[in-house]
Amino acid sequence: MRCGDFRETYAEDMAIFETAFSRRLLAVFLVVLATVPLYATSYWLDVMNRTLIAIVAATGLNILTGFTGQISLGNAAFLAVGAYSTAFLGGRLHLPFLLVMPLAGLLTALVGMVFGVPSLRLKGLYLAVATLAAHFVVEFTVTHWDAVTGGVNGISVPPPRLGALELDNDRRIFWLALPLTVFMLFFAKNLFRTKVGKAFIAIRDQDISAEVMGVNVFKHKLLAFGVSSFYVGVAGSLLAYQAKIISPENFPITVAIDQLGMIIIGGLGSILGSIFGAVFITMLPEVLRLATAAIAGQSPALADLFAPLKVGLFGLAIVLFLLFEPDGMAARWHSIRNYWKLYPFSY
Amino acid sequence: MKTARSTGMALAALAAFAAAEARAQEIKVGGIFDLTGITSDVGKPFAQGVRDAVQWTNENGGINGKKINLNGSDYGYKKPEAVALYKRLVEDEKVVMIQGWGTGDTEALKETVTKDRMPFFSASFSAHLTDPAKTPYNYFVGPTYSDALRAWMRWVKADWKDKTRNPRVAFFYGDNPYGKSPIEAGRQFGKEIGVDVVAEEVLPGIVQDATSQLLDMKQKGADYAFTQVTTPNFTAVLRDARKLGLTTRFGTNLWGIGELLIAVAKEFSEGVVGAVPNPPFGENVPGMAKLVAFHQKNHPTDAHDTNYVRGWSYVMVWSEALKRADKAGKLNGEGIRAALESMKDFDTGGLSPPVTYTPADHRPTTLVPLYEVKGGKLVRLQTDEEPRKPEWLGL
Repeated sequence: MRCGDFRETYAEDMAIFETAFSRRLLAVFLVVLATVPLYATSYWLDVMNRTLIAIVAATGLNILTGFTGQISLGNAAFLAVGAYSTAFLGGRLHLPFLLVMPLAGLLTALVGMVFGVPSLRLKGLYLAVATLAAHFVVEFTVTHWDAVTGGVNGISVPPPRLGALELDNDRRIFWLALPLTVFMLFFAKNLFRTKVGKAFIAIRDQDISAEVMGVNVFKHKLLAFGVSSFYVGVAGSLLAYQAKIISPENFPITVAIDQLGMIIIGGLGSILGSIFGAVFITMLPEVLRLATAAIAGQSPALADLFAPLKVGLFGLAIVLFLLFEPDGMAARWHSIRNYWKLYPFSY
Repeated sequence: MKTARSTGMALAALAAFAAAEARAQEIKVGGIFDLTGITSDVGKPFAQGVRDAVQWTNENGGINGKKINLNGSDYGYKKPEAVALYKRLVEDEKVVMIQGWGTGDTEALKETVTKDRMPFFSASFSAHLTDPAKTPYNYFVGPTYSDALRAWMRWVKADWKDKTRNPRVAFFYGDNPYGKSPIEAGRQFGKEIGVDVVAEEVLPGIVQDATSQLLDMKQKGADYAFTQVTTPNFTAVLRDARKLGLTTRFGTNLWGIGELLIAVAKEFSEGVVGAVPNPPFGENVPGMAKLVAFHQKNHPTDAHDTNYVRGWSYVMVWSEALKRADKAGKLNGEGIRAALESMKDFDTGGLSPPVTYTPADHRPTTLVPLYEVKGGKLVRLQTDEEPRKPEWLGL
């Protein structure tokens, strides 16, 4: 238990991890996570890869919605842009993998900024509908631009190649996805220690005051769309490599709604919240599947109930979190952590 | 103590050996079924047919004594779920072949299936899966959608009595791989035999109202219309056509017509002509006896239809291939493929047309039995045999 809270330098004040203990704990956790592919089945590796992709995408959405206050329903569209850019750049143009992923991210950032232009004049629900338009425009483009996207038949994505090594199964993709996710999470966390990040938060809290204070609101809103879409584009790129075959069916509107649910449940305006929310929403169907498989021996009718049960539980979770923990799982995590940090003096 | 421990270990070793033997006596087959998705109305009876046929096969000698272990799951007609399920079946469960379902996911997986050398039976009759040069491991049991469309168009040409002009047809289909599968073949064939394709109407995934598409068709003056959808959507189209007072005669493929159509569309289904390659349940063909007996024994209160019979016919074909591959000692992808390609005019007892696969042609049959809905019953019209043209392979 720590006593006293003495910060003697600015660096200490701004530190992400305040104690050496928490830094070491994180390092140990990451090392353990890195060893998972050695003993996990490919089914669970697939689940973990999808979780990592969801974490990156949710972080991107959180940057835009949680930190900058711009509600966006276009996440599925940006995932699609990232994924199809990867398929095109890697598959048709045969660019090397190390070039494809950043380029896909940049392309998605550009598209995101284009659809972010309405944010100059629109706020809240109106902006949400404008970003919904982004979803339909991208969906239409993807379904009908057969030459580039393969249309409704979908397109296959060649595996990324690092020299002689081909990342063609979930185990290898995991070893790519994990460090990439960790890096992007740290980048996002650090972003909100910088001037740009604090401008985003100012825009969320009170954009008129921010404008008055000298923050160029429109430029920063566009930048928020750009950075967020870059994240989602990279997530889409990973998704393309992991799924190996992508089609418009991979990006329905429910994906955008799921990700909005992730950041609400996890915690708006919190990087840790993005992680919690993404893990919760991705693991929910898997936990349900295990539970119904366990009971299915006794009553096969339950197996039919599984799909609607998942949707019902998702809605219930959002409602319960909004009622009892509106700041999300991250807030609950912090209050539990503080309790144990100060135990037994938590009064 | 010592004897107890050694007998214990001997028993454990025996149990492990027996378990390994039991597993070695099992042949793992993967199943990808649609039980909850948009094609589940026809997917559920098919899946039940497959499961029942596997159970019957296991009760009647299995595969040269070995039991088939069917590991089937629902994927809700969603491509990403199908891809994930395929990965699990191939990498974790190590199945030797897969009984799949939909056109979209089968066509999406065709390159992976070829790379993995995994025999893949689909309930998709897309002609794009019949060219072994492109898709050597894809199979199905029945005429292609393209041949079914051609057979129907031939019937249209013969049925049309006005000598002053060609009959005009419209195509109704969904904007997905299943819907688009035979359309190009239909366009080309129309030019060949003198049937004018005057309208192509795109339907949404779930059809609640087809009025605008039907009015467009009426404006273009179509005399006949072919729908490449499944029964529930076809019912919506028929109902709306009747509401608009249209006299167009409708036709459909094997997923649109059957006992289910008559049950849901009732009087609107009168006069519909479609491809029914698998006989209606209970029809007097040699192979039907075992289905009826199984039904009496296991679920006498259920109703069954031609889709259920289709499931059975599939298992008849691939269990025969498994038997041949097992006898040759090659129960793997290439072995099963060789066994399938050795099947010539394989008779399923009338549950489907006879099946022939060759290394150069995976079209199992070009026979298209056409049935008409007359007086609330399925009545056989004629059995059309499409020529096995090499330029039609893969179209």
